[in-house]
Amino acid sequence: MTQAEAVNTSANYLPILFQLIVAGGFGVGTIIITHLIGPKVKTENKLGSFESGIEVIGNARQPFSIKYFMVAILFVLFDIEVIFMYPWAVNFRQFGLSGLLEMFIFMALLLLGFIYVIKKRALEWD
Amino acid sequence: MDNLFILIFIPVVGALVLALTGKSASAKTLALLFPLLSLAYSLSFLFHFVPDASMQFEQQVPWISSLGIQFHVGIDGISLPLVLLTNVLVPLIILASYGRKYKGDFYALVLFMQAGLLLVFTALDAFVFYVGWEAALIPIYFICALWGGENRIRVTIKFFIYTFFGSLLMLIAIIYLHLQVPGHSYELRSFYQLALDAPTQGWIFWAFFIAFAIKIPIFPFHTWQPDTYTEAPSAGTMLLAGIMLKMGLYGLIRWLIPIAPLGVAAYGQLAIILAVIGLVYASIIAFKQQHIKRVVAYSSIAHVGLMAAGIFAWNVQGLQGAVIQMVNHGISVVGLFFVLDIIAQRLGTHDIKLTGGLAKPAPKLAAVFLIIVMGAIGLPLTNGFVGEFLLLVGIYNYGLWYAVFAGLTLILGAVYMLRLYQKTMLGETPEQNARFKDIAGTEVLVLGIIVLLVVGIGVYPKPLLHLSEAAVSQLINQVSLK
Amino acid sequence: MSAIITLSLLAVLLLYLGLFKAKKALLPVSLLGLLAAIVLYSIQWDTDAEPLYSGMVLFDHFAVAFSILSLFITGLVFLLSRDYFDSISEHVAEYYALIIFSLTGALLVVSFHNLAMLFIGIEIMSVALYILVGIRKRDFSSNEAALKYFLMGAFSTGFLLFGITLIYGATGSFDLTEIKNYLIANPHSISPLFYSGILLLIIGLSFKVGAAPFHFWTPDVYEGAPILITTFMSTVVKTAAFAGFLRLFLTCFVPLQDFWAPVLLVITVLTLFIGNISALAQQSFKRMLAYSSISHAGYMLFGILSIGAASAGAIFVYSAAYSIASVVAFAVLILVKRSRGSEHFEAFNGLAAKNPYLAFTLSVAMLSLAGIPLTAGFVGKFMMFSGVLANYHIVLLLLAVLNAAMGIYYYFRVIVAMYFRPADREEVTVNANYKAVLFIGALLTIAIGIFPSLLAGWL
Repeated sequence: MTQAEAVNTSANYLPILFQLIVAGGFGVGTIIITHLIGPKVKTENKLGSFESGIEVIGNARQPFSIKYFMVAILFVLFDIEVIFMYPWAVNFRQFGLSGLLEMFIFMALLLLGFIYVIKKRALEWD
Repeated sequence: MDNLFILIFIPVVGALVLALTGKSASAKTLALLFPLLSLAYSLSFLFHFVPDASMQFEQQVPWISSLGIQFHVGIDGISLPLVLLTNVLVPLIILASYGRKYKGDFYALVLFMQAGLLLVFTALDAFVFYVGWEAALIPIYFICALWGGENRIRVTIKFFIYTFFGSLLMLIAIIYLHLQVPGHSYELRSFYQLALDAPTQGWIFWAFFIAFAIKIPIFPFHTWQPDTYTEAPSAGTMLLAGIMLKMGLYGLIRWLIPIAPLGVAAYGQLAIILAVIGLVYASIIAFKQQHIKRVVAYSSIAHVGLMAAGIFAWNVQGLQGAVIQMVNHGISVVGLFFVLDIIAQRLGTHDIKLTGGLAKPAPKLAAVFLIIVMGAIGLPLTNGFVGEFLLLVGIYNYGLWYAVFAGLTLILGAVYMLRLYQKTMLGETPEQNARFKDIAGTEVLVLGIIVLLVVGIGVYPKPLLHLSEAAVSQLINQVSLK
Repeated sequence: MSAIITLSLLAVLLLYLGLFKAKKALLPVSLLGLLAAIVLYSIQWDTDAEPLYSGMVLFDHFAVAFSILSLFITGLVFLLSRDYFDSISEHVAEYYALIIFSLTGALLVVSFHNLAMLFIGIEIMSVALYILVGIRKRDFSSNEAALKYFLMGAFSTGFLLFGITLIYGATGSFDLTEIKNYLIANPHSISPLFYSGILLLIIGLSFKVGAAPFHFWTPDVYEGAPILITTFMSTVVKTAAFAGFLRLFLTCFVPLQDFWAPVLLVITVLTLFIGNISALAQQSFKRMLAYSSISHAGYMLFGILSIGAASAGAIFVYSAAYSIASVVAFAVLILVKRSRGSEHFEAFNGLAAKNPYLAFTLSVAMLSLAGIPLTAGFVGKFMMFSGVLANYHIVLLLLAVLNAAMGIYYYFRVIVAMYFRPADREEVTVNANYKAVLFIGALLTIAIGIFPSLLAGWL
């Protein structure tokens, strides 16, 4: 066995492993021990939710207006669909008539969606 | 002419008809009509049966062809007595329950169970056997849980889970055997021809044995039995004790031992020891019981322990005795439970201390009860004698000491049965029992038939022995445990 | 493929019917659409199946059988929806449309032939469900369920996608045939990426089918969602997910069985025990059904574990039996909840005395779920057990038997409540649609139980 090979056996790295275990174990161990032996005082204030020192009012789960959100998400939706038209336009000639028909079907479906959105009054602000 | 399919499906049709008629008054009559039809039809099988070792009246149609399952049934000398027993007892049990206000649903369940039982006793295909096995379990669960006593819910679910677990073990063994058969079939005969190695047969033995031992029940798998017998309505108890536990004993003879002879060679002795322990233990406990139904419940454990020991002894006398005794125990135990039901219903209690002196107000009942008790004890000239005698000879051939302990049951059995008789019938008649009404009407009819059977078979058992003789000796020759 | 296009258009049509206030037409139109799809599929049955659209989908017997099953179960769910959705939300048309969208996704999952299609199918199926689960906007438990389902679904999709990517990295293709050819061509030099890919796929799919230890979302989501949506999720979606699972492993990964079978074995055993033991402790019938659906996932995993020629048939029969019985169980639950306002076992007390027919059908469903002979559930279990035993997993089967016995206890609790526990109660009114579904469900359960060849011969 040459010197170089001896250096590379995994046994030689064992001390490092031990050091890792000790280092990690110390950290985890102290946390666990302090958790176990530390005194725990449970008061109402401690258990309540912290709201910057102000008293808690009502439930956090409250409906909020999503009007702007709706418009934004619909914009993203239709905007992305338009991207499909770009590669189609570049290859327009190769696709021929069938390509044209397929794009019409695609647009028709989009249009159906758009009509649905309008009919559902998703775009009306009030 | 003698079509087994029709025999099996008469009760199914009956069950459907009764389920549909529901609450109408004709339910009772109809409920008796169908089992009587079955009985009449099964007599035709009896007359056309040739008492040799062959399988007769075989019927076979493909059922689930993609899994290689055939609806294959047939009757031989071992199954015929049990088929007859089923078809004789079911009408009797229905007649015995006429005193209660049962409706169509109850009778439908009984008939459905009858079909399951017939399927078990005639099946020649393992899948059919398993289906029958479970098909008999569902209705009896509902019978016990719907019309049973106070603790019925807890007790019956225990009974159900217990037996279901056992039968699932059996299902594993069946599927395993099926996969071993070249060409993958569920045929009983192809299972017989398998020559598996000893360790495999060992676990096959346990899978089947636990399933059967729970049903029979053999000590220590018996814990569900006394509670269930006590809580069940008396018709349910009669079905359980009279017919259903024979499924397990029949399974031992038809399935377990011929399929896994090497397994039996290895563990059969243990099975006999368990059976003998069970019978002595149950006899002693029966003596201590205050609840009249529990006395008979424990006596039943003792009797089936004797039969199981006789079967595992695996010789002609033991097996022949077991076949005979299965029939006789069925008859006697139905009689016993019916008498106890009459007593309990009239007195409103099952407590042995509150009964007593009933012989004076009800002499007919006392006389009938005495004959049935004699039969249960196994006195000569009653039906119990032949079977128990043959069983003891069989066990003696297996080993002297087993026979000595098994013989104890005869003595112990006489002690606790006579105690039961004495405490209920004899002695001073307490005031509240003085106006006890004697049996009348259908009660006389049912008990009369049972007494006739008890005495008839006791005096002239030869035809019954003759039915199964050839089949038994052929089976013994065919399957050697050595 | 024409069936899938029909369904997509049907969903759009339903949305427009909703817009133009034609509420009465919704149910008949959707049922007609489903029927048309079933017919379109049945025509395809005996034609030679070739992968379509550059190998994206393949409508072989497997795909057609599972598609027809999904369509049929969805039809039953729709029959139950009369009066149900109206009471929850005013957007009735959206309900129908979303279920149809989800179904379309499910149909893609059972017929994919390209991993991209598997992903798209699962996403179409799930996205619609995220909305459906949370459709009761003001109900906290429904909100919680939707959020949980969404997050868990997103996680699992992440695993799935990562798995697909790794497999693509190893083989250079999404096509199932190509992946199989890769395995056959390099039996000894399979890239480590491939193995990690399989593991990630198993994790992703286990999330979707609700197998332990990836089952945590199931009970809460099933409980929080409206009952009918739960029905749809636990039947159609689960069936489709299992079909997709099986299709992937059956077509591609069989040669590597030695590698993934142990992993799946652990998952199966965990699923069985966790599902059954948790179900034992439940007081709510709905939650019990949720846990029981976990345990059924365990039994269905047997089919994948003992992968072979018979496993497709076994999973098909099992999922058909399970789905039909579940639909019946949930249908009765809806009725009982409507009259008693509770989902607990006590709500069923004394049902048999007032509604014998209802109690009987529910008992048949419970017996089927418990796997008692002469019901469809037994045939399913029987086929699963046979498959497992053929591969000599005897110990696994013993565990399964133990679980089956446990199952009896909680399935019988409702039977016990209905028949043996008396209670003062009103008769539950059952409308014609419910009667039809219950009748069909019970009849099919018993018919398949007695003549399994009706289904077993399909695959």
